[in-house]
Amino acid sequence: MKCEEAQELVTALVDKELSDPERSAVESHLRDCPRCQWAYEQEGALKREIRLAGENLRAPGSLRVRILSDRRVFPERVGSAQGWKDYVWPIQHIFRPALVVALLLIFTVPMVYWLNHRGQSIFLTALETYDMILRGDLPMTKAKNTQELKEQLIRAVDGKFAPMEYDLSSMKVRPVGGAVREVEGRKMLVTVYEGNGLSFTCFTFLGTEKDAPKNAAVFFDREKRMNFYAFSSGGVHAVLHREGDVICILVSKMPIDALLALARGKVQPS
Amino acid sequence: MAHLDHLYRVALYLAKEPDEAQDLVQETYVRALASYEQFTPGSNMKAWLTRILHNFFFDNYHQKKRWISVEDNSVDEEEASDYWEKIPAENPGPESHILLKELNAKIADVLRKIPEEFRSPIILVDMGDFSYAEAAEILSCPLGTIRSRLSRGRRLVYRYLKEYVDIQEKMREKK
Repeated sequence: MKCEEAQELVTALVDKELSDPERSAVESHLRDCPRCQWAYEQEGALKREIRLAGENLRAPGSLRVRILSDRRVFPERVGSAQGWKDYVWPIQHIFRPALVVALLLIFTVPMVYWLNHRGQSIFLTALETYDMILRGDLPMTKAKNTQELKEQLIRAVDGKFAPMEYDLSSMKVRPVGGAVREVEGRKMLVTVYEGNGLSFTCFTFLGTEKDAPKNAAVFFDREKRMNFYAFSSGGVHAVLHREGDVICILVSKMPIDALLALARGKVQPS
Repeated sequence: MAHLDHLYRVALYLAKEPDEAQDLVQETYVRALASYEQFTPGSNMKAWLTRILHNFFFDNYHQKKRWISVEDNSVDEEEASDYWEKIPAENPGPESHILLKELNAKIADVLRKIPEEFRSPIILVDMGDFSYAEAAEILSCPLGTIRSRLSRGRRLVYRYLKEYVDIQEKMREKK
């Protein structure tokens, strides 16, 4: 075999893309040809370095959020305007348009503002609390075990609801403490999970899905028949979902898609 | 969102501008969802997404033809030297590999400089871990083209890097 003939075969040998006869032929040539052997080693080293250069290149976090927020990618949203449009259309034939507009302004605008404001406040409180936990600024209730922590938190809200529980033991992550915060007159249970270099905070409170921020991306889990709301700010990500009368927000610096997958995997529909 | 990092990597080397690369990836997910019924469960989703990305890029961003003839001399192979030209007088030893490791950041620049027909197979096979057959499917070209473009493309990358290696070697000799 001539060296010129060996060039492409050496490339394929580096990529493990040769048939047995081809590999035997080129390996035989390499044993007799120091020049081609040198080329083979250099090409292999180069391939490894190109691979490493690629591994260091990651998609920016903002891109994940951008895609998650794209309504063309995740279009489903339960409770959209389509539902009550059916009721509004017949009414508009009865009332004069100006009256309809006035009624909408009187009732809808304050409601929308209140709902949005409500979701944003809770979200901001969750992020603020998460930040305090990371800085060690939040006084936390410690307990001997998970059950004791859970009981303490339930007592803090007079038994009205229990903190949402996640079994993250397979990730070597477990509850390490808890706290109670109050937002707009509502008590919020905070459970902190840590371990294996990871940190999650779970916020549980009585509410509805309207507590989700207005700019949250909404995912409908067909299997569980549940909505999940994902939102991010400043490198911190959150996933909100409802279980009966209870809302849970899971917050972490884990990538948003991984956090969403975790929440969807661990939650059971109520 | 599986394969996001991979898709962004491919997009960045195609589009070269981060903003354009992000648009490309976003549109890839939109198109993938719109044609999800065309995906065969159990087949290679990473390859399927990558093909969508490539097709979208060439259909919308890049009007040039995808593949020039192998005989096109877009690279002057006579002037530059590569690892096939000569063997070092002495055994290069492990230090040559150490030098290569220092080139990690440089590789990204070099990959942007080489012609796209050589760059794409390198990105798919070396960075994306695709087989020749998968790369050929994604790029809609014969399998043999992938092999020849990889061979020539890697030698081209090496030539650009060799200049950098030479500077490093001279600096080392001065010490």
